[in-house]
Amino acid sequence: MRSQAMFFRARSGEKLADQLLQRNLATVRNRFVDARAAAIARYEGDFEALRDSGQEIRDRVLANLDVWLETFEERACSSGAEVLYARDGDEICRLVTDIARRHGVTRAVKSKSMLSEEASLNQALAAAGIEPVETDLGEYIQQIDDNEPPSHILAPAFHKSKEQIAELFARTHGTPLKSDIAELTREAREVLRAHFVSAQMGISGGNFLVAETGSVALVTNEGNGRMVTTLPRVHVVITGIEKIVPTLEDLTTLLRLLPRSASGQDISSYVSVLTGVKAERDSDGPEHLYFILVDNGRAGLVGSEFQDMLRCIRCSACMNHCPVYQSIGGHAYGWVYPGPMGSVLTPLYTGIGNALDLPQASTLCNQCGSVCPVRIPLPDLLRRLREKQVDMGLRPRGERLALRLWAWVAARPVLYRVASAIGVRYLNWLADGTDRIRVMGIAPEWSAERDLPAPEGRTFRELYRHRSRQRSGNGPGSPHNRSV
Amino acid sequence: MSIGARDDILGRVRSALGRTAENRSGAVAEVEMALAARTRGSRPVAATDPVARFRAEGERMSSTLDEVASLEDVPAAVGRYLAACELPRQGVVWPTLAALDWRGAGLDVVARGVTADDPVGITGCFCAIAETGTLMLCSGPETPAATSLLPETHIAVVPVSRIVAGMEEAWALLRTECGAVLPRAVNFVSGPSRTGDIEMTIVLGAHGPYRVHLLLVNDV
Repeated sequence: MRSQAMFFRARSGEKLADQLLQRNLATVRNRFVDARAAAIARYEGDFEALRDSGQEIRDRVLANLDVWLETFEERACSSGAEVLYARDGDEICRLVTDIARRHGVTRAVKSKSMLSEEASLNQALAAAGIEPVETDLGEYIQQIDDNEPPSHILAPAFHKSKEQIAELFARTHGTPLKSDIAELTREAREVLRAHFVSAQMGISGGNFLVAETGSVALVTNEGNGRMVTTLPRVHVVITGIEKIVPTLEDLTTLLRLLPRSASGQDISSYVSVLTGVKAERDSDGPEHLYFILVDNGRAGLVGSEFQDMLRCIRCSACMNHCPVYQSIGGHAYGWVYPGPMGSVLTPLYTGIGNALDLPQASTLCNQCGSVCPVRIPLPDLLRRLREKQVDMGLRPRGERLALRLWAWVAARPVLYRVASAIGVRYLNWLADGTDRIRVMGIAPEWSAERDLPAPEGRTFRELYRHRSRQRSGNGPGSPHNRSV
Repeated sequence: MSIGARDDILGRVRSALGRTAENRSGAVAEVEMALAARTRGSRPVAATDPVARFRAEGERMSSTLDEVASLEDVPAAVGRYLAACELPRQGVVWPTLAALDWRGAGLDVVARGVTADDPVGITGCFCAIAETGTLMLCSGPETPAATSLLPETHIAVVPVSRIVAGMEEAWALLRTECGAVLPRAVNFVSGPSRTGDIEMTIVLGAHGPYRVHLLLVNDV
């Protein structure tokens, strides 16, 4: 997928002004947040200790990722699978179309794979004469809506109302307009059932790869993941090289974290652990299983100051809890992953210079970091990306000059005292006797959306000196050994 | 000739980790130790009564439950359930349960691979997990994976003696009874198929079964 992250400012403005989108977002806002909170309140164990376990497992893999990959590869191959590697999206597309051609595939059913979004795989398959059919309900809705990208990694059509979806179904399927969500779901079920039975190839992502057994673990609610990996004769798993977990016990621990953090479920309807191909006497299962392990920027994070990001298990808790995501939805972020995880991943995977606004699109409030099931310090990573932008000279000239000026003044105490005294009086003048500053000449864009509280009257240093004087006059104790 | 993707990616991961011939054996030892240790992570307190817990969690995941004394009672209980729900009295059963007297209960049930049009799928389970009210199904010639997936109704026979506390115990049981090589598909099923993809409204029966009925059997 070609990144549009450089248009973040313009697009987020459009999204804020889009009344239909805002109404749709208001319908679903906080559903994930409330569901997660309820699931954790109900959890009969120490959820913080569970997060520690999750982090520890992911870190253990990353510390020896090369050996874990070799172990997974060896065990997957010995169970009858073939393990392939792709450096980037183009290589994913080439490998999948080659496999499809080799097995005479004309239709491929897909369960959700964010990697295939990274690669724009659907377009490549279609160009090669292979029909890709998305089968996750949300992904399917997006596909028949002129291939609109997902706006949420878990609920891709999160931003659409049921009326919009009903109209889309009526138009696409040539059926009467429906208004009931259960009826819409049944209509999609019937349309997609025909594809499940006829497709020769299933394409899935992978929530985890288990090194111990050479298996892929898939977590789904709809059952489309099971269909795609049970009925067609060929199954292709496309997943990132970082998705390995050591043992089935480690998988179990992460399975306690993932659905609770994602949708607030104790467990999802289906967890499938798939190993190798069908045996001769089996009546179902694929005859061929391929793993495509993808780099697309991941190897570059190993051993770097951004390695923590590779712990990510794609639960979506960070975006669900992000006040910025809640306000603008997923599309403004411009690439595959929205929200805080996307603001870290998009610049790292597509180039820091191509996504300058994303690391700034955060208040650093740490809602994301505090809900991350594997304790990724998202605000720290965002701040580090901002530092990189400065180091690389990528910030705008005005901002760089202003900061240099501030640094110069701040290093000169007398000058700083005078400048801040003038600043406070200027802000008071702007407040014009009220406690709010509504419009600020030097940052009109910033103050257009919010008010700045007016200063109390004096600078910190003026107040400090004043109070020290009062204290030394009123009683014992020197200001130097008191906290102010 | 350009370097292959595998060697390229692994090469970059190795150099990022500072892998050398000397420290490689240490890494291999760490990996082998982790594989052998199978350390368990933090987990919730185990229920004092696993069967009660299984029932409660199963219901929370929208499964329905019934209980019979022995395997011979299963066909009649299935018949009662289908009648109560006004569902077709025909379906497919796992070959492992083919010997039960289905005809005697007035059911047209055959042991074969399932098709997309079969209305009812009847399975056993490898074991069941109390913590989340979950079935563990292992695929095989006698226990096909699709039987629990394609029909609109899935009925599972759950021997009470096969209810374990958590997924850790389920894996341990599998290793003991089936060895280190996993069946092609291990499916953990917790209630009916569901989706929340339209306005986050939960709808049961997305692509898989609309209903999952659990038949607990006491004396197996």
